Amino acid sequence: MRIMPWHQSNWDARAAGNFIGGGSGTGLLIFAALVALLNGSPADYRWQAVVALIFIAAGLLCVLAEIGRPFRALNVFLHPQTSWMTREAMVAPLLFGSGAIAAWQNGGTFSAIAALFALGYLYCQARMLAAAKGIPAWREPKLIPLLISTGLVEGAGLATLLAALSSGVAPRWLAGALLAALILRRLSWKMYHAALEQQGAPKQTLEVLARFGVRFSTYGQSIPEMLIVAALFIGSELVWLLPLAGAAAAFSGWALKFTIVARAAYNQGYALPVLPIRGQGQPIPGVKPGWSK
Amino acid sequence: MTRYIMTADLRRCIGCQTCTAACRQTNATPPGVQWRQVLDIESGEFPDVHRSFVPVGCQHCGDPPCLHVCPTTATYQRDDGLVEVDYDKCIGCGYCAVACPYQARHITHRVAFAYGGEPMASESARFDARRMSVATKCTFCMDRIDAARENGQTPGVDPEVTPACVNSCIAGVLSFGDREDPNSNVSQLLSATQHFRMHEELGTDPGFYYIWDKK
Amino acid sequence: MAAEVRKVPQYCYQCVAGPDLLTVKVEDGVATEVEPNFAAANVHPGAGKCCVKAYGLIQKTYSPNRLASPMKRSNPNKGRNEDPGFVAISWDEAFEIIGAKMKEIRAKGLKNEEGYPRAAASFGGGGIPTYYMGTFPAFLSAWGPVDFSFGSGQGVSCTHSEHLYGELWHRAFTVCPDTPSCNYVLSFGANVEASGGVVGAWRHGVARERGMKRVQFEPHLSITGAASAEWVPIKPKTDAAFLFSLIHVLLHEMPREALDLHFLKQHTGSPYLIGPNGFYLRDPETRKPLLWDLTRRAAVAFDTPDSDPALEGSFTVDALEIGADGQEWRHRGLICETGFGKLITRIKAYTPDWAEKTCDIKSGTVRRIAAEYVAHAQVGATVEIDGETLPYRPVSIQFGRTVNNGWGAYECCWARTLLACLIGGLEVPGGTLGTTVRLNRPATTRQASVKINEDGFMYYPMNPTDKAHWKASPAVRNAHATMVPLSANSPWSTALGPTHFSWMFQKESPENWPRVTPPDIWFCYRTNPSISFWDTKEIVKRIAEFPFIVAFAYSYDETNHMADILLPECTDFESTQLIRIGGSKFIEQFWDHEGFALRQPAVKPQGDTRDFTEIATELAVRAGLLEKYNEAINRGAAGVSLNNGKYDFALDTKQRHAVDTIWDRACRAASAELSEGREDDGLAWYKEHGLRTRPISRLSWYLFPELKKQGIRFEMPFQERLYRVGLELGNRLHEQGIKWWDVQLEEYGGLPTVMDFPGIWEKETIKQAGAGALKDYPFWLITSRSMQYAWGSNVGIQLMDEVADNLRGHKGVVINSQKARELGIEAGDLLEIHSYVGTTQGPAVLSQGIRSDTLLMMGQFDHWATPYAKDMKAPSMNSLIPMSMALTDSTGSAADLVRAGIRRVRA
Repeated sequence: MRIMPWHQSNWDARAAGNFIGGGSGTGLLIFAALVALLNGSPADYRWQAVVALIFIAAGLLCVLAEIGRPFRALNVFLHPQTSWMTREAMVAPLLFGSGAIAAWQNGGTFSAIAALFALGYLYCQARMLAAAKGIPAWREPKLIPLLISTGLVEGAGLATLLAALSSGVAPRWLAGALLAALILRRLSWKMYHAALEQQGAPKQTLEVLARFGVRFSTYGQSIPEMLIVAALFIGSELVWLLPLAGAAAAFSGWALKFTIVARAAYNQGYALPVLPIRGQGQPIPGVKPGWSK
Repeated sequence: MTRYIMTADLRRCIGCQTCTAACRQTNATPPGVQWRQVLDIESGEFPDVHRSFVPVGCQHCGDPPCLHVCPTTATYQRDDGLVEVDYDKCIGCGYCAVACPYQARHITHRVAFAYGGEPMASESARFDARRMSVATKCTFCMDRIDAARENGQTPGVDPEVTPACVNSCIAGVLSFGDREDPNSNVSQLLSATQHFRMHEELGTDPGFYYIWDKK
Repeated sequence: MAAEVRKVPQYCYQCVAGPDLLTVKVEDGVATEVEPNFAAANVHPGAGKCCVKAYGLIQKTYSPNRLASPMKRSNPNKGRNEDPGFVAISWDEAFEIIGAKMKEIRAKGLKNEEGYPRAAASFGGGGIPTYYMGTFPAFLSAWGPVDFSFGSGQGVSCTHSEHLYGELWHRAFTVCPDTPSCNYVLSFGANVEASGGVVGAWRHGVARERGMKRVQFEPHLSITGAASAEWVPIKPKTDAAFLFSLIHVLLHEMPREALDLHFLKQHTGSPYLIGPNGFYLRDPETRKPLLWDLTRRAAVAFDTPDSDPALEGSFTVDALEIGADGQEWRHRGLICETGFGKLITRIKAYTPDWAEKTCDIKSGTVRRIAAEYVAHAQVGATVEIDGETLPYRPVSIQFGRTVNNGWGAYECCWARTLLACLIGGLEVPGGTLGTTVRLNRPATTRQASVKINEDGFMYYPMNPTDKAHWKASPAVRNAHATMVPLSANSPWSTALGPTHFSWMFQKESPENWPRVTPPDIWFCYRTNPSISFWDTKEIVKRIAEFPFIVAFAYSYDETNHMADILLPECTDFESTQLIRIGGSKFIEQFWDHEGFALRQPAVKPQGDTRDFTEIATELAVRAGLLEKYNEAINRGAAGVSLNNGKYDFALDTKQRHAVDTIWDRACRAASAELSEGREDDGLAWYKEHGLRTRPISRLSWYLFPELKKQGIRFEMPFQERLYRVGLELGNRLHEQGIKWWDVQLEEYGGLPTVMDFPGIWEKETIKQAGAGALKDYPFWLITSRSMQYAWGSNVGIQLMDEVADNLRGHKGVVINSQKARELGIEAGDLLEIHSYVGTTQGPAVLSQGIRSDTLLMMGQFDHWATPYAKDMKAPSMNSLIPMSMALTDSTGSAADLVRAGIRRVRA
C-alpha cells in the first residue's frame, strides 16, 4: 500500500509526447508565420508549417495511443464548458484547417490565423496540465507561463534550426526572439520551481526537478543563450551557432516537458491535519507523508 | 437539496480492511482495484510513534476536479452529490485520474482474475466488460441510493440502501447520509464531533468527513 | 441482471472470536456477495457484522485450487521432498480403504502396546473446526479413545497460561475487560483489534469513543497499540516485572485505603493465615483454614459468620498445617502472618526503579500508571444490573499471547488477577472477567461450574497428584494428566497439556519415560501443524512417520502432503450445521442473548465433495459404529441434545440418517430448548431465518454474584493448592526417576517471584549455539496477530492476501528504522532471519514503531505446498522457534519468541 505520493501512472511518455508535439508544433507555427509575415519571405513557410502540423498531429496520435477507448475518441468534444482537453480538441481542427490552408497558400492571412489558433492550442495545453489538481507539479499556476514560454522557445528554436537547414540563414530578429523566449523560459522555470518549493510539494517531485534543473539550466538555457549571444554579438562567422542553439533550446523544452509529465508527476498522496484521539489524550499534530512541508 | 456524504471516525478505525473486502466483492472490482481502502499511516519517531488508519476513496467532492477536466462528460455530478462515471461515454483518457487529489480513480486495461487468467464462477457472474479501459471509482453504491429513491428507504439507515463499506464496517467507523438534512445521522454525528476533510485546501469541497475527537 | 437472487443466512467461525452471522447473496445459483446478517444486528454484540475473513469465503468456494475429489497417495514414501503422487479416486474407494484400516485397528484393539490410543485426531486451534465438521464429533465419540494430543500450535500460539490459571481463579478460559463499561485498560500484548474479531473491534471502538483509556505494553506498535491512548514499548518478556512493580506501588507507596479492603477481606484468601511450611494454618478439628478475626481477637475458621478478618499483622495461634502427600504439622503458640502480609513482603523488592532497569520503562511511568489504575477503579462505587447491586470497578488488565504463555506467563496471570482483587475488580461490572469454561464442567455456563471446595475457594478438577491416583502411565501421548495437574480432565484437556511432547517424545523419549509411538490412524482437519507449530522442520519429519493419515482437505497443504487419503468436504457455503451462539464465549463475545445459528448449502458443492455429516455417517457405517454414532448424536454430539426429557427428537439409532434428517432433528431440539418445549421449528425454519435466540440476563457476564451467593472466595494472593500439587507431582516424578521436569516444578509456589525471564531464552540460546551466541542472535523475534489471517486457514485466498497488504508488515520482517540504517538495511531489502533452529527469508519493513532490539513477523507463511500461499515468499518464525523442554513452563506451554539474527541477502 502506498501512503507517500507515488508517481502517477495514467499519463506516461505518450502524454508527454502530446505536450512536446503540441508545444513545439504550435511554437513553430507561430514563428514560421512571424517570419513569413515580418520578413515577407514566405519561402520556408510551407514546409515549416507542414512540419509544425506533423508535430501537433504526432502529439495527438500519442494521446490516441494512450487512451483506453480510442474508438470513442470523438466523445472528447463533449465538455467545452470546463475541460481544457475538450477545448484543446476543439481548437485542433481549426488549427489544422487554417494551418493547412496557410501551408497551401504558403503564408498569407491564414498563416496569421493559424498562428493565433496555435497560440490558443498552446494555451489550452498549458491550462490542461494546470487543471490536473491531483498532481502538485502540474497544478502550480506558474506552470502555465513555463509551458507557453517553452512552446515559444521550442518554436523559435525549431524555426531557427529549420531555417538553417533550408535557406541557411534565419532572420537576426528570430535569434533575438529565441533569446528573449529563452530568458522568459528561464524566469518562468525559476518562478515555477520556487513556487513549488515555497508552497511545498512531494519530496520526490522536488528531487526530480532539482536534479533536472541543474542540467536544464546549463544545457537548455545557458548554453543556447550563450551561443545566441556569441552569434549575434561576436561576429557573423559564428552564425552557424544559431541552429545549434535552436536545437538545444527545443530539445531541452522536450526534456522539460517529459520530466514534468512523466518523471516529476508525483501525486498528492494523503494527509491528516490532526491525528485521532484514541480514548483519551491531547491533539496530536498531523502528518503529510512524503511532502516537503 | 440532498448531499450524500460519508464520515469516518478515525478514533474507531483499526485498519481491518473489511470495508475494502466488502467493496471489492460488492462492486466486483478486479484484483488490486480497491475503490475503498484503509491506509496504515505511521508518523513520529520512536518511541513517540503513532499509527493512523484512514479509509480513503472517492470523496464525491462538491467541486470535483475530475468532473471539470473530463472531456467527455462521462464523469457527472448528480443532484444528490454523487459523482459518477458513465462507462459508455468514458474514453479512458486518464485525465480525471490525474486531476483527482485523492488517487481514487482506477483504469484497468487488462482483464485479471483472482487466480490467474480464468475467472471463477463468482467472477464470471459479475464480470462487466464495460469497465475495461475506462475510469472507475467508488460510486457510493449508487444503485442502492437509487433504490432508496424508489422504495422510500433512507441511505445510511436502512442497510439495503447503504453503501457496502458502511454496512460492513466492524468498528462503527463509517457512516453515510444526507449532510443537508440537519436530522440525518451524519449531520448529528458531525455536530457532536471535531472533524476535517482531506486536502480541503484544494477547494474540492470533499464529501468525506474524518472525525478525530469529540467536541 | 441475475434472474434469481437470494440472500442465504450463514455463519463464519474461522477463528475463535466468532461466530459472525452473515448472509451470502446467491445470483442464479452462484455465490457473489457476503454481507452482515442485518437481522442479527440487535442480538449480536458486534452489531451483527462479519469480519474481513468472511468475505474471503466466496473465493474459497470457487477457488481452482480446491481438491475436487478424494485422493489416494501413490508414493509410499513420506516427507517434504517426496512427491505424494496423489491420484483421484471415488468416494467409495476412499471409504473402502479407510474402512478396512479402521476395522483392522479395531480388531487389534483401540490402544496400542504402549497404552496409547491407536487413533489420533488433530484439529485447528480453539475448537473452531468443530463448527464445520458436522457430526464428526459423534463419530469420534463412537470410536472410543482418541488421542487429541498432537498439537498444531497449542501451547505456543495460544494464551495457554491464561487458559489454565484463568479457569482456576475465575472460570476464565480467556480473560477480557468488561469493555462496555470499563474506562481504563492496561493491555499487555493483547491485540484485540486483530484477534478480538468483530465483537472485540466493535466493543473497543465504542469504548474509545466513550473515552476509555487503554495503555498498550508491547515491543512494537501493533494495531491495538495504534488504537490505544498510549504505547509503552516494553522489553519482551518483562511484562511480569512491570505488573509486579505496579503491585509494589499499590502496596508500598499508596495508602492502604486506596485498595478495596472489604473485597480483599471478604472475597479473597488474603486474610488466611500461613504456616511456616508454606501451607494454610487450619483449625485442627475442622481442618478449615484460619483467619484472624479482629472482632474476636482470635483465629477463626475462614467461614465464621460476622468475622472481621485482619489483612495484615502478626498473630499467635495454635493450628494444624497440612502439606503435600498428607504430611501434617501441629503448631502451638505459633507467630504467623496472613497471605496478604506475605504478599507485602514478597512484593517489596519490585520497586519502580527495579522495573525501570528490567523492563526499560521509566519508573515515573510505572507510578503514573499505578495511580491512574487506582483512580479509575472508583473503589466503593456500585452499579445496578437487572435489579442486583454490584461493585463497579471500571479498570482491567488484558494479555496477549507470548505474555501469557511460556515462562513468565504464570506470574503475569497471577499479577493480573491480584491487581484486579486489590481494587475489588475481579468478575464485577467494569472489571476483569472470564469469558467461558473449557476445563471445568458443566460447561453450560460459567456459573454452573462454580462449586465451593473445603477451603472456601472454587473447586477445580485438578488431575490427581497423590500416590494412589496419579497417572504414572500417560493415557495420551502428551501426558497432560500426568504432567500438568491444572490441565484438568475435560474433553479439552488433552489439547491443553504440553502438546509438543507428543511430537518431541516420538523422536526421543526423555529419561525414564515410556516410548511414544505414532498413532495407527490420524485424522486431521483444518489444521496444518507443518506450518503452524514450532520447529516445523521437525514436525514434518514426525508426521512423515505416521503410517496412515486421513486428511479432510480443502486443498493440498504442508501437512496433508504426508496423507494417505484426502477427503474434500463441502466448504462453508455448501454444507449444513447448527451451532450454539450467545452467552459468553472466547475473547470479547459477551451476548445479551443465547440461541442457535445455522450454516446451510447456499450453492451446489463444487466438484465431487461431500457434506461432513455425510462423511461422518459413512465412516461410522464402515467402522461398524452406526448405532453408537447415532447415540452420540442423540446425546448432543451435534451441538444439542435430541432428547432431554422435555422433548424427544431422537434418531432411530439402528438406521442410517440423511444429513437433512439429522440437522432437522437438531433444529427442532434447538427450538424446543429455547422455547421450553413449546415450539419445534425444524431445518426449513432455520434455513429461512438463520438464527433463533432468546434474551439472557447480563448478570451472567459476572461471576462475583455466584461466588458471593455460595460464600466462595477468590483464591488470591496465596497459592497453597498449587504449592501442594507441585510438591506432590515432584514426589511422583522423582519416584519414577524423572528429573527433567524439576525446573518446571519450581513454578509451583505459594507466592510467585519474578525471575529473569528473558534470560531463560538467552541461556538456552547460549547452551544450544555456544558462548557468544547472543552476538549472532542480537534480536528478539516476536509475532503479532493479523485479523486478515487469524488462524491461518484462509492463507490461500487471494482477497485476503490483497487486503492484508494494505497493512504494514504482513509479508516481511519489521525492523526499527534507525537500527536498519545502522545496519545498512533499506526497506524492501531481502533479509535472511536465522535462529539456532533454522532460517527464513523475507523483505525488510522499516518502522519507527518497534524497539531496536526486536524484530516482528506478523504472518507465519513459509508455505511450500499450499497453492497460492507457497508463492507468497513470506517469512515465518515458526521455522525458527525451538521445540524445547528448557523453554517449556510448568503448564506445558512455551512462547513464540526466539533470539534471532539477520543478514541482508540482497537489496
